Amino acid sequence: MPPKLPEFSNSVKLKHVKLGYQYLVNHFLTLLLVPVILGLLVQLLQLGPHEILNLWNNLHFDLIQILCSSFLIVFVTALYFMSKPRLVYLVDYACFKPPVALRVPFSTFMEHSRIILSSEPKSVDFQMKILERSGLGEETSLPPAIHYIPPNPTMEASRQEAELVIFSAMDLLLNKTGLKPKDVDILIVNCSLFSPTPSLSAMVINKYKMRGNVKSFNLSGMGCSAGLISIDLARDLLQVYPKSNAVVVSTEIITPNYYQGKERSMLVPNCLFRMGGAAILLSNRGSDRRRAKYRLLRVVRTHKGADDTAYRCVFEQEDPQGKVGILLSKDLMAIAGEALKSNITTLGPLVLPASEQLLFLVTLIGRKVFNAKWKPYIPDFKLAFEHFCIHAGGRAVIDELQRNLQLSAEHVEASRMTLHRFGNTSSSSLWYELSYIEAKGRMKKGDRVWQIAFGSGFKCNSAVWKCNKTIETPVVDGPWFDCVDRYPVDIPEVVKH
Amino acid sequence: MAQVSFICKRTVVSTKPVQPGKYSSLSVLDRVMERNHLLVVLYYRSKRGREVGGITKKLRESLSETLTSFPVATGRLLKDPKEHWMIKCNDAGVRMVEARAKGSVEEWLRNVDREQELKLVHWEEMFHKPYYWSTFYVQLTEFEEGGLAIGLSCTHLVVDPTCVTMFIKAWADTTLGGKMVSPPLFHPLPPRRPGNMTIGHKPYTPLINHYKSFIENPPPLAVALQRHSTATLTFTDQMVKSCMDMVKALTPFEALAALFWVCISNVKAKKNGSGLTNMSICSDMRKVLGLDKGFFGNCMVYNKVHMELGVQENDHQLIKAAMAIKEVVGEMDNEGIMDLIEWLEHNDNYQYSPPLMNGRDDLICINLEGVESYMAMFEDGYKPIRASYYIEPTVGEGQVIILPSPAGEGVLSRVVMVTLLEDEVVKLCKDALLMHFSPTILMGVK
Repeated sequence: MPPKLPEFSNSVKLKHVKLGYQYLVNHFLTLLLVPVILGLLVQLLQLGPHEILNLWNNLHFDLIQILCSSFLIVFVTALYFMSKPRLVYLVDYACFKPPVALRVPFSTFMEHSRIILSSEPKSVDFQMKILERSGLGEETSLPPAIHYIPPNPTMEASRQEAELVIFSAMDLLLNKTGLKPKDVDILIVNCSLFSPTPSLSAMVINKYKMRGNVKSFNLSGMGCSAGLISIDLARDLLQVYPKSNAVVVSTEIITPNYYQGKERSMLVPNCLFRMGGAAILLSNRGSDRRRAKYRLLRVVRTHKGADDTAYRCVFEQEDPQGKVGILLSKDLMAIAGEALKSNITTLGPLVLPASEQLLFLVTLIGRKVFNAKWKPYIPDFKLAFEHFCIHAGGRAVIDELQRNLQLSAEHVEASRMTLHRFGNTSSSSLWYELSYIEAKGRMKKGDRVWQIAFGSGFKCNSAVWKCNKTIETPVVDGPWFDCVDRYPVDIPEVVKH
Repeated sequence: MAQVSFICKRTVVSTKPVQPGKYSSLSVLDRVMERNHLLVVLYYRSKRGREVGGITKKLRESLSETLTSFPVATGRLLKDPKEHWMIKCNDAGVRMVEARAKGSVEEWLRNVDREQELKLVHWEEMFHKPYYWSTFYVQLTEFEEGGLAIGLSCTHLVVDPTCVTMFIKAWADTTLGGKMVSPPLFHPLPPRRPGNMTIGHKPYTPLINHYKSFIENPPPLAVALQRHSTATLTFTDQMVKSCMDMVKALTPFEALAALFWVCISNVKAKKNGSGLTNMSICSDMRKVLGLDKGFFGNCMVYNKVHMELGVQENDHQLIKAAMAIKEVVGEMDNEGIMDLIEWLEHNDNYQYSPPLMNGRDDLICINLEGVESYMAMFEDGYKPIRASYYIEPTVGEGQVIILPSPAGEGVLSRVVMVTLLEDEVVKLCKDALLMHFSPTILMGVK
C-alpha cells in the first residue's frame, strides 16, 4: 500500500534521527574528551619511554609544595563531602487496605443518595452522572459512619476512622521494616480536613508509646498535595539531624467531610473521595542504604496561591443552607494546567537530559527572536523518568496530564487503576500508585519515578525517586496483593447502571 | 418490661462485587406472592459477660460474606418487558438495623406478645420506586443482660419460609466456620417430567380453581388490617402422637391442622353460627417437584380443603377434618402441581391487581414442619431457643403455622403459631378440645 509506506518510513527515519541527536548531546562531553585523550595518548607514545622518564625526573618538588598541594586537595575534598546534602532513603512504606465490609458499590451509593436527598432529585441525578464518569470501580471504601442512613459523622466516628486507617498503616510499616516505635526520631502526620486536639500525631505517639524527644509535626489544611509537602519537610529535617529516621503518615479522614447539602458544585467530593492512608519510613542513615527501596532525588514545590482565582478554586465554605462542603470551581482544570507548567519549568532543568533542554532552549529562543508561530517544544519527560505517579484526583486530571505530557496509556496505568480500585484517597494515592507499579513487577533498580500531586491553594508538588533495588513480585504485603492479577481493567467512559 | 431502642440503620453489601448485567427472573409461584412478606425472629442465648455490640459487628461482617453467594438478595426489583417482576442483581445490598433491648432474652421470652415481638423485626413497605427499595431487612437486637434476637423480613416475591431459613443457616455456617454447608441453588422451576404425562390426563382443577378465584377477585390494594393477636403453643412429642393416633394421621401436620381447624371453628362458631370454617392449607412442594432443599425461590402452594357439610360437635368431626386434609395433601402430587404451574404461566396477567393468597375468608394452615431453623448456630454450642415465623399481612379468618420444635424435645413435638382476632385467641387458649392435648403456651395474649 504505497500511501502508507512513506508515512511509516518517515516516522522510523525521524525516530532514528531523534535517537542519534539525543545520544550525541547527552554524551557530548564523553564524545569530546575521548578524541582529546586519544590524541594525548598517541603523543605520549610517540615520545617514547625514555623521554617520559626524563620528564618525570625533571620535575622538582619541594617539601612545602608537596605539603601545601596535598593539604589543598584534602581541604577541597572535605569541603565537597561536607556540603553535599545528606542522602535521604525511603526504606519502605505501607498502604492501608480497607476491610471488605466497608465496600461501596455504585448502586448502594446511589440508593443512599436517593433516600437521603429524596427532596432533591436533580442533585441526585447530578451525583449519578459524576459517579458514572468518575473512573471509580465497585470496590472503593467509605468509613462506617457514612454507611448509615442517614450518615452519622460524629467526632467519635472521625476519631475511630483515623485510628483504623493510621494504626493499620503504622502496624504494617513497623512490621515490614522491623522499626521499633522508640526508635522513631521524626514523626510527620498530614491529614487535611480532620484536625482534632490533641493532634493526630499525638494520637500516634500515644498509641505507640514513642520517645519523649520525638520531633512531631501535624500538617492540616494543605490538601491532596500534603503528602509530598510532608516528604519535603522530612527531607529538610533529615539534613539537620544526622543518623535519623522519619516516619511520614499521609491520610484523609472522610467521616467529617461528607457533604450533606444539595449544591451541585459541592457534591463532587462525595462521589470521589474514599478511605485510604499510607505510612512511609525515610532515613538518612548509611546503614539503611542496603535495604532501602528508593532514594529521594528531588522535591519541587510550586504555589499559585498569589493568584486569586487559583486560591479560590478549591474552597471550603458553607452553602446557602449552612451546610459545610468543598466548592470546586469550574476553572479547576485550567488552573491545574498552569500549576503543572510552573512546576515542570522548575523541575525540567533538574531532571531532563541535556538533549531535551537544548531543544527546549532553542525553540524558546526561536519563538522569542525569530517567529512566535513556532510550536512550543514540550520536553519529553519519558526520557527523564521510567514511571509516573499522577495523583488520582479524578479522571479529568489524569486525562489532562496524559495529554499535556504526551504520556502513553501504560505510563498513566498506575494512576487510573488506583482511581478505579481505591478512589481518590487524597495525599496517600501516590503511594497506592507506586505500590501498583511494584506489584506489576515493573520496578527495577535504577528506575526513576516522578510523583506529581495537586492540591488546594493551589499547589503542584513533585518528588523524584530513584529505585535502589529491584522489587521482586509477588508483593505479599501490598494493598494490591489479592487483585493485581485482575488489572489493568478497561474503564468505560460512562458506566451504565 | 423490656424496651427496644433503635441504634442505627445501614446497608450491608457483599464482599465481592457482582458481575454487572446479571438478572434473575421470578417464577410464577414467586410472582403470585407479591403482596405478602415474611417475618422471622430467632432468639439466642449468649456467653456470660460478653460485651454488648461485639456480636453485632461479627454478624455484620459474616453477613457481608454470605451475601456474596446470594446475589438475588442484594439485587433490586424491576419490571421486565412483559411487566412481570424480575430482579436486577445490582449489588445494592440489604438493610440492617441495629437495636438494643433491656433485660435478658429469657426475661423477654417470658413476657413477650405479638406486638413486642414485631419490634424485633424491621420492615418497610415497597417504595413508589422499587428500584431503590431493599427486599431484605435484617435487625440485630442485643439484650443488655445477655442474649440476641435476629429478625429477618423479606418480600414473599423472592423467598418463601424454607429458603429464607436456608439463608439464615448459610449465614450461621459462615459465621461459625467460614464455609456454607449447603449452598443455594438458583434456577427456574423444573418443567414437567416427560415420562409423567399419562394419557387422557385431566388437569387438577380444584387447585387451579383455587388460584383462579384469588387472581380474579383480588382484594383492594389497601386492605384494612384488623387487630390481630398471635399465640405460640408447643405440643410435646407424646401429645402429638396421641393426636395422630386419634385421627389416624400420617404426619403431625395433618393431625395438628385438623385439631386447630376444629378448635378455631368452635371459637368462631360461638360467634357466627355452627360448622367448620373454610380452610386452606399451604405446603412446601420441593420434594414433590423433585427439587433439592437448597432451591432458592417460592415453592409453597396453597390449596382449599373441602369438607362435607354436616355439623357434628364430637370426635368424628376431628377425624373427618383430618381425612379431608390428608386427601388434599395426597392430591397435591407432581402432576397436580405441574398443572397449576402450567396454568399460571398462561394466566399471569394480573400485574395491576395482584392476588393476595392468604386473604379472603379462609383459615390458612401453613406447614413449616421441615424448616431447619433450629440448626442455625452462629456461635459454637448456641442453638436458637425459639424461632417465630409470620406471614404478613394477616387478613381473612386467620393463620395457623406448624413449626418444628427445638432439638431434644422429641421428633414429633411441634410449635404452633396461631394468629386470630384478639378475643378469638383468648378463647382458643381456653378451648376444651385443645386443652385435652395440654399444650404449653409460650407466647399468649396479655
